[in-house]
Amino acid sequence: MDTAAMLKMLQDPMGVPFFPQVFDALMVLTFALHILCVNLTLGALAVAVWGRLRPGTGWDRLSPALARTATASVSAAIVLGVAPLLFVQVIYDPFWYAANLLSADWVIGFVLVMIAAFWSAYLFYLGGKENRGPLAYGFLSLGLFVVAGVIMHALSVQLLHPEKWLGWYQSVGGAETSGSALHAFEPARFLHFMIPALTVIGIYMMFYAWYLEPRADADRAHLDWTAKAGAGLAFWSALAQGAVGAWWLLTLPKDFHFYRSPFLMGGAGLGIVMIALLAHIRFGAKRPQAFAWPAALMMLVTVLGMATTREALRQVYVGVFGYTIHGHRLTLDWASTVLFSGTFVMGVSVIAYQMSVAFLCGRKAGKWEAGPRLQAWGRISIGLLIAWIAVVAGLGVVLTLRQHGL
Amino acid sequence: MYPIWEVPHLTAGLVLALIATIHILPSHLSTSAMWLNVYLERKSLKENRPELMAFVKRFSKMILIFAYVFGSMTGVGIWFAATTAAPRGISGLIHNYVWGWATEWVFFLIEVGGIYVYYYTIDKVDPKTHLKLGWIFALASWTTMVIIVGILTFMLTPGHWAATGNFFDGFFNQTYWPQLLMRTTAMFAIAGAYAVAVAAGFGDLKARREIVRTASTWAIAGLALSSLAFLWYRAVLPDAALANLAALATPGLRAVMVWAPALAVAYFAVMAAKPSWARLVPALLAIGLIFSGIFSFERVRELIRKPFVIPGYMYSNQIIAGDLPAKGVQSELPEIDREGILHYAPFVPPDLRDVTDANRLRAGRMVALIECAACHTFQETGLRPLPPRIRKLGATGPGDVAEVLDALGAIPYMPQFAGTDAEKQALAAYLFSISK
Repeated sequence: MDTAAMLKMLQDPMGVPFFPQVFDALMVLTFALHILCVNLTLGALAVAVWGRLRPGTGWDRLSPALARTATASVSAAIVLGVAPLLFVQVIYDPFWYAANLLSADWVIGFVLVMIAAFWSAYLFYLGGKENRGPLAYGFLSLGLFVVAGVIMHALSVQLLHPEKWLGWYQSVGGAETSGSALHAFEPARFLHFMIPALTVIGIYMMFYAWYLEPRADADRAHLDWTAKAGAGLAFWSALAQGAVGAWWLLTLPKDFHFYRSPFLMGGAGLGIVMIALLAHIRFGAKRPQAFAWPAALMMLVTVLGMATTREALRQVYVGVFGYTIHGHRLTLDWASTVLFSGTFVMGVSVIAYQMSVAFLCGRKAGKWEAGPRLQAWGRISIGLLIAWIAVVAGLGVVLTLRQHGL
Repeated sequence: MYPIWEVPHLTAGLVLALIATIHILPSHLSTSAMWLNVYLERKSLKENRPELMAFVKRFSKMILIFAYVFGSMTGVGIWFAATTAAPRGISGLIHNYVWGWATEWVFFLIEVGGIYVYYYTIDKVDPKTHLKLGWIFALASWTTMVIIVGILTFMLTPGHWAATGNFFDGFFNQTYWPQLLMRTTAMFAIAGAYAVAVAAGFGDLKARREIVRTASTWAIAGLALSSLAFLWYRAVLPDAALANLAALATPGLRAVMVWAPALAVAYFAVMAAKPSWARLVPALLAIGLIFSGIFSFERVRELIRKPFVIPGYMYSNQIIAGDLPAKGVQSELPEIDREGILHYAPFVPPDLRDVTDANRLRAGRMVALIECAACHTFQETGLRPLPPRIRKLGATGPGDVAEVLDALGAIPYMPQFAGTDAEKQALAAYLFSISK
């Protein structure tokens, strides 16, 4: 059985319930948001730990706030990670399952490592007085998150090499069923996912300064310092990221001809624009926090572009074996597609309400009171959730009575 | 058919069960706790009782840290463990229910964002807005249960899905409503149990008594109603599941399902009558009791759907054993019987594709890995270990074992052997060899 036939045989025979391009687009979008939060977590923890190593400095003062950011962003990273985890199994099922099973110990280990890392982050944040837990937990958390990153990286690379799977599965006299080995590691690719942690936290620091400035109790000198330090961190790390990106491109298989790919070249172009913008902020702006929004939006666009590039690259890798995401049988299921689409639109509205409350409340010192519009939005959000339950339950009752009787 | 992950003494399936079991504790807390919070917060507002809000803050912090460190990661862990234990099974579910899970994910987003916003805005936003945040969280988190119950019950009773292949035909199946009612009422018991534990160390004595009494009442009502819902659930189980229940549910599992809720009710009755007696350790033991009851139920729920992972369609060992015309899928059994499992499965070392005198035991082990390892270990001890089971049959040689393999299809909870005669003889030889 050759690799192409193996991949065909492994594809789920039940097919996909909607057009695979939609799952692909959702996978890229949600992965971009997920990796942003992963980078925010890593960057926040790294700077929080660094700050504690430099007592009495602005970094030190910033440390508890960033430790708190890390605990919230890891939660966001986990929940946002569920979506690409789901969609990759829909359109790349043979790759996902085979790559995971070949290193199953590590797959389960990933879960344990993440729990330990998350718990340590909370101990670092809440463990001591004034949100200054033992520094050892900060190091431990950061180290474990990096280990989690190594595992995910290895699985992602293993996924791209179906021609090697059977070799990895063989042992003397039989099958290697322990799942105890990680089989692939690409330093350039790994660093390309890790270094942006510093860029993201740098831009976050600019945003942090912009956000807190209007508060009556704000220490403007400290916020100015935070924005400047963030701008520096973002620029220098983005520059390093550019170099690593070039290294990664050069390590790609030669027959991929990366310089001919509009996706890869477009991703590189976005990276260059990002570096240029950050250079302008770092060297040309007196108050980097004034550029927090443009920098954050450009970062979002760049990460989305990079996620698209990564997907385009994956399609080239798997295309070598004749695999495309369009190979599954298409068995359209409109009912469940409508269920998700409607829920998604409703969910965006409800989440926007929650975030608006958090945003406005945190920007004011003391107690904050919602205006009539926001109160109405809150009532509508609750109403939408109740309506969702009523519609789905109503549908369920009708279907149940029709099919199973009383 | 993917590579096999062999976990000595446990099986990959038991690893999945362990992670899923651990997930129950935080996940049911996250769906239930906010209902108690909004009840207490409303009371605090109406009666101007700030001490109740102090408890709400304490309870919310516990939810935030416990439920969202362990709950979210073990939730993701179930996906990873299912990948390693039953990749084709989870793939089959995902290729049918991807939009269901994606819908649930939207509510997860509301839930996870919601707990942070709720906790960090306590005392910082006006009370009406804060209460709204609580309601949003409570509704969204319960809705995740509304969705996942459809997929969980599908795995036992797929309803008319087998004929139509439609999402909702499988989702609203015959065990959906009883199980939703059972889990919904149980979640109030769980909220009550956790609240007693948190309230046990709460400073304000008057508030502590009131919260313990309220939480205990919730727990008693939840346990009583979920027990009734369980009887409804049992009444609508298909005959095959009931037969499995009789054959596979051990006396220990049955006893825990009955006694755990009964003892928990007794504990909460005492707490309702004497709330000042609330202490942390007994409260944690009560949570443990409820947990053991749920664990037993979940184990039984898994056992009674054997030999299938998706009823009528896919065996526990992930061989597609039934036609699914609505999806254009045919059983793999005829082809496997014709070609041989070692030729059909992609992940087989080349020198084991054909059974020879030289590789018989190794080829037999390969067949065992593919067809038996999902449920059985090959060691002397562990989960359903094969060596003692083979000895128990009184087999005197591989021929006797092969006869048992021939008869597997007649045992209601066992998949039939799939493969050529040579592969069956090799499997028999291997099984006999490990039983000696």
